Amino acid sequence: MQAFDCAIVGAGPAGMSAAIVLARAGVQVAVLDRAPRAGGQVFRSAANSPVPDVAALGSDYSSGAALISRFEESGAAHFAGADAWHLGDDGRILFSHEGDTRELRCREMLLCPGAMERPMPIPGWTKPGVMTAGAAQVMLKSDAVVAEGAVFAGSGPLLYLIVAQYLRLGVPVAALVDTTPRRHYFDAAPQMFRALGHIRQLSKGLSLLREIRASGVAVHQFAERLEVIGGNKAEGVRFVATGKHHEIAADTVFLHHGVQPNLNMTRAMDLDHHWNPEQMCWQVSVDDFGQSSIAHVSVAGDSAGIVGADGAQAAGRLVALNILNRLGHLSQVERDQKADKDLSYLSSLKPFRRFIDCLYHPTDALRLPRDPETLVCRCEEQSLDDLRKGFEQGARDPNALKSLTRCGMGPCQGRQCGHVVAGLLAKWRGENPETVGYYRLRSPQRLLTLDELSRYGAVQAEAAE
Amino acid sequence: MKADVLVIGGGIQGCATAFHLARRGVSVIVVEKDYAGRHASGVNAGGVRLLGRDMAEVPLSKMSMEMWQSLDEELGHETGFRRQALINIAVNEVDLDTLRAREDKMRAAGYTHERIIDRTELIGRLPHVNPECVGGVISELDGYAIPYKATAAFRRAAETLGAQVIEGEEVLGLRRIGNTWLAQGRKQRYEAETVVNCAGAWADRIALMIGDNVPLSHAAPMLMITARMPHFAKPVVGAVSRQLSFKQFENGTVLIGGGAKGFADRANDRTRLDYSKLAAACRTAAEFFPIMRKASINRMWAGLEAYMPDNLPVIGPAVNAARAFHAFGFSAHGFQMGPVVGQVMADLVTGGQSRFDLSPLRIDRFDRKVL
Amino acid sequence: MFRSLQDHNRDRVTLTINGQQVAAREGQTVWSAMAVSGQVETRKAALSGDARSAYCAMGVCFECMVNIDGLPNQQACLRRVSEGMNVTTQHIAEDSEASDAGL
Repeated sequence: MQAFDCAIVGAGPAGMSAAIVLARAGVQVAVLDRAPRAGGQVFRSAANSPVPDVAALGSDYSSGAALISRFEESGAAHFAGADAWHLGDDGRILFSHEGDTRELRCREMLLCPGAMERPMPIPGWTKPGVMTAGAAQVMLKSDAVVAEGAVFAGSGPLLYLIVAQYLRLGVPVAALVDTTPRRHYFDAAPQMFRALGHIRQLSKGLSLLREIRASGVAVHQFAERLEVIGGNKAEGVRFVATGKHHEIAADTVFLHHGVQPNLNMTRAMDLDHHWNPEQMCWQVSVDDFGQSSIAHVSVAGDSAGIVGADGAQAAGRLVALNILNRLGHLSQVERDQKADKDLSYLSSLKPFRRFIDCLYHPTDALRLPRDPETLVCRCEEQSLDDLRKGFEQGARDPNALKSLTRCGMGPCQGRQCGHVVAGLLAKWRGENPETVGYYRLRSPQRLLTLDELSRYGAVQAEAAE
Repeated sequence: MKADVLVIGGGIQGCATAFHLARRGVSVIVVEKDYAGRHASGVNAGGVRLLGRDMAEVPLSKMSMEMWQSLDEELGHETGFRRQALINIAVNEVDLDTLRAREDKMRAAGYTHERIIDRTELIGRLPHVNPECVGGVISELDGYAIPYKATAAFRRAAETLGAQVIEGEEVLGLRRIGNTWLAQGRKQRYEAETVVNCAGAWADRIALMIGDNVPLSHAAPMLMITARMPHFAKPVVGAVSRQLSFKQFENGTVLIGGGAKGFADRANDRTRLDYSKLAAACRTAAEFFPIMRKASINRMWAGLEAYMPDNLPVIGPAVNAARAFHAFGFSAHGFQMGPVVGQVMADLVTGGQSRFDLSPLRIDRFDRKVL
Repeated sequence: MFRSLQDHNRDRVTLTINGQQVAAREGQTVWSAMAVSGQVETRKAALSGDARSAYCAMGVCFECMVNIDGLPNQQACLRRVSEGMNVTTQHIAEDSEASDAGL
């Protein structure tokens, strides 16, 4: 079994940035990531893009290539294709690698599981042809695959970005259906003035929308009652906008209304989490240096609150400094001196973040299902109606509801239904999600073949001999 | 709050006790420190097993098995009970000898619900079993239920009859003043004539408050469940001399147990898993059923369970206090007994006696022994 | 309609998706190979039998579970294509029976 000073799970911007700082200081650092190449979701394939015209993806994306090469040259041990499925507070990590379970130990553990898209349980969201806007990005970045004539529906910067990327690449887009409510523009206006320090990001967002409008793509603002229509696959969307009913045909519909922390790893580890009412999601509770509620376990990046790629890099560097201090490479004074710049950067991001969170605040209409038949749990096919019945039978706790209805018991382990269930129970109980709580999660964080696990002990025994 | 009876612990034993008491018109409060069915009662393997019971338990277990057959109608709620034969597989002649010795003992006591089967019948009933297995023992009366559902069904039926279930309420102290038990909970105080201790892995603490010492230990038996698989095993499966136990539910998922224990952190209500032991359980499952190699494990977990030194529960009155009764320490096989235990406890509370011989299960049975 | 922006002449790997021979690029995900070839149905839901397809493409929704070379529950968006790979839509219903009795 290999031992490291620090093991980082997740090679996105936070994990890579932390690894660079640590490795350069001479710390033995291991970085585990499921992907064949570092980058995370945001910089996926940025260093080896298959897209012929990669400039169309924008300069933010291209900047990832430099970070990836700095990481790859840093001397950190990169376990590519390593899927961690158990993280112990004793510093033990079990991960699948080429079909076998391997094990390593570390003194310090840094978790960077990043974010995932907020589920959008609208009618028809389980039909083939309905994907997330992030999925469109993943397919584009990793395999240069695009969908022609798709509808993009929802709200938020990522949605506008992928539409703009498609248009730059000459991929026809059927329509952008924007669900951002009119009142959010009024609510967010005061926040915008406070966010003026981040004028570059603000204008980038505005220019994306200008670019989309200039392209002639149909843009429908203030859309409500969004649903996917079709039989056994998506055939389009239906919605109401400015008082009129619309129907747009499309065989692919990309949905988006923001991202939320990807929590299964940190939940399975039993770290403290809290509810973030601005971002309407749970996040890991950490201090300024990413220290979690468990000693020697730190968290950086979007899973400790959505901060975006730049913020994640700063957070990764801060955690690294703290770990360097704990490992005896830096005094506390040195740590604080070196941390100053990133700490102020992160705090300067806050007004911008608040503006974005206010403008694109997830609406209840998209966050929670409205039709009784709409599925909340995609794996076990549990609908809003099924959950309400379970609640009426006395299951007031997410885990009790799970035991009674099987909602959240399937392979996705609640990734898709967890926040929705917490939201529904909060609504029905008249309490906030913090009180309602979340599923108890366990390893493995994804399906593990019995064959693989059955070889685990055998591998151990051989190593001992 | 006041009631005739205060039941401590909202697991299946506590909820079944409340149901039977409420049905007799007794006012009853159940206090549960987490939520009803949170621990062993809600997360166990759901085995409704008569096969292989200790002789001291057989009469209770047989009665309970009869009750399970019509429990859904009785409670008016689904427990998920399905009658399904249970087979313990024999891998060699030594196993068969063990089974024959057991059969002689059972016959002598007048029991006929266990039957030895040969290799042909074994393969006929379990076509996917490793053909090297030589036979086994079957009980046709056995089955399984969905643990949380069954516990919730008792709870809801009890509530319908007027019982109150207070969740998130931990009992911090118990005193007997005159003819009344005073219980101090974290949230409020309770008064009752009688207390019933159904506190599972925490029952030794409640017993201590009542005045009885008990050598209870706790452990964390581990379970794994797979994603749905095509059906390959109707009967519930165990093995005579190996740590094998699994069942394929109607929905196709396969629950793998076998008794391997993880790490129990009772003070923090937590359990940890021992992956080496789970890996061994996987090897055993694949050895007996090669088709299991293709299984995908979806979840693994462990529950906190109370164990007694002789693996038999404590069922009966307190010895050092009046109007107090115990039902705990089921040592990982209490789920099946829930229905009958509820009835026995109601008998004890309302009439002071049970028609079953409870002497092997009394709480002071370890007092003179050196453990 | 999904399509690849890349030059198809560089597709080197041949795999079978529900009986159809498909050319794919080395390193490509099984899901994108399915999408480009028009085979988007990854699995059937266990209870309703409804067709399902990839939703997140990043491993968090488990909708793209397919059968690869006889092994079920493989996430098509995470697995990479390989020569001779056989991919089929997964259909494990609640009442499916195992066929290869007595292995």
